[in-house]
Amino acid sequence: MEVLDKQRRVYVLGGGISKFAAERVDGNMRDWINEAVLEALEDSGTKIEDIEHSTTSYFSDHFDKQLKAGAIFHDNIGMCPKPNVRVEGGGGTGGLAIRNAYAYIKAGLCDSMIVFGSENMGRCVPSDVAQQFIALASDTDWEVQVAGFYIAYYAIMMVAHMEKYGTKEEQFAMVSVKNHRNAMSNPKAHYPMDISVDDVMNSKMITYPYKLLDNCLLSDGAACLVFATEDWAKKHSTAWGKKPTIELTGTGCGTDFMRMADRPYPEPGILHFRGKQAGAQQAYKMAGIKDPLKDFDCFEVHDAYSGVELVSYEDLGFCKPGESGKLTEKGVFDLGGELPTNTSGGLIGFGHPVGATGLAQGIEVLRQLRQEAHPKRQVELNAKRGGMDSHGGTGTFCAINIFERRD
Amino acid sequence: MGIDQIKNLMEVFTAEDPMAFQHPEGDPWADFREVMRIELKMDFTYKHILGKYSKFFIELANKKFVTTACKNCGKVWAIPRPLCSDCMSITSWKELPGTGTLESYSVSNFVPSFMKVEIPYVLAIVKLDGADTLFTHQLRNYGDSTDAIKTGMKVKVAYTDEQVEHPMLLMHFEPA
Repeated sequence: MEVLDKQRRVYVLGGGISKFAAERVDGNMRDWINEAVLEALEDSGTKIEDIEHSTTSYFSDHFDKQLKAGAIFHDNIGMCPKPNVRVEGGGGTGGLAIRNAYAYIKAGLCDSMIVFGSENMGRCVPSDVAQQFIALASDTDWEVQVAGFYIAYYAIMMVAHMEKYGTKEEQFAMVSVKNHRNAMSNPKAHYPMDISVDDVMNSKMITYPYKLLDNCLLSDGAACLVFATEDWAKKHSTAWGKKPTIELTGTGCGTDFMRMADRPYPEPGILHFRGKQAGAQQAYKMAGIKDPLKDFDCFEVHDAYSGVELVSYEDLGFCKPGESGKLTEKGVFDLGGELPTNTSGGLIGFGHPVGATGLAQGIEVLRQLRQEAHPKRQVELNAKRGGMDSHGGTGTFCAINIFERRD
Repeated sequence: MGIDQIKNLMEVFTAEDPMAFQHPEGDPWADFREVMRIELKMDFTYKHILGKYSKFFIELANKKFVTTACKNCGKVWAIPRPLCSDCMSITSWKELPGTGTLESYSVSNFVPSFMKVEIPYVLAIVKLDGADTLFTHQLRNYGDSTDAIKTGMKVKVAYTDEQVEHPMLLMHFEPA
């Protein structure tokens, strides 16, 4: 893999988010996407009539009982007859959609791309039906039939990690405490909370070692990002040159067997996200990252379950395998720490409307690099780079994207 | 008549602006806060083909655990695959003894109601003797307490004589 055209660069012009919440009874996916798009257009100083292409980011056709929902989103914002493509990769959908914008613009298929994503996960169906819909994203012939569901799969991984490395339940709980706390300065977050490690440890045991507060919730919401080349932005974005310039400098993607049981045994087996390691290496090579812990100012890390964030630290190269728990105890990933993670609140604190999640991660990195985040969650800029890690299945699809501020 | 004509109507209500914090000048969508909720029902039955791994399920009914071995590289996939994804060769069926070692597990005290299992429910991932990859299924009959479950313990495939909702449930794991 080699990026051939180094002159043609892809910039992040702006973003918008329609609030993440347990249930948005005020509307549905179309309404929330409209809101996110309006905010992204305003933020990027662009007009929809100038934008050449769109990408749709949503995961499940079950939740909204609507196939090809992207066609509706696209026409609602007046994009017809311009082209649209849908990207889907489970929980990694949003990260892949950002990567899609890079690919289309870099290839010259368009100079500008609007990416919108949403999920209607809230309470349109009862929670156990929602769990069933999500379980359909594991192998329905083999895993779902033995009553596999996602918390149970991830718990299997964590038990293995705890036994091999001595990772502790309290260390998972610290991730949940941090992410709920960070969400308190994010007005669009679903689940801001000031809680303690004890609160997490004492919350209802769902699947050992995961308690209720170790898990993200099902959220409603939408997010939107606008990408373009410099030439296009100079011509069509009134914000170009007025707001800090943010470039999408690296993107990577990796995969693993859908069923954990099929992964190379014994290593990395069920201990690590092999796809995340591969995707991170690609993205780091593109963006010239040598030491991830120092070369980023912030990182949005996939935290559908608290332990996933810890394992991801290791697979993203922030530390050696087995060290994530100890570094978390030291506060390395807290606001004010060496590499603040999930400053938005992450999936646990901000929320997880799947198709919007990866885009919202990107928007958080954009806000941080522009120094527009809420003062209580704004990081200090040194490397002027931020990353995001979007992840589906049990690490089945991983997408890593890197944004960099150009001053 | 009127609103009652709608058979699947659940409710009509006025929604609040969920982003009032962003709208100090007033709600831009104020004209659109009257919301209707209706009930939609969907119910299907699929005629599902289990494809080239059907034999696995047929043999489970005969209380045999068969899987596939690659004719080229020899890799034994615990969950059968008609095509070896390591070397893209067509595999052949091979019977395994059904014994193995518990690699990892999780204990669920809560399960969504679509899962017709008793709690605590133990999902196990097992390294089967004679296989190169792992196999996921429920661990049952582990005794009075889940404390008895330890990684590394010997387990075996057990078969049921009862009627099952899906052929995969003809088997489960038990301590050996």
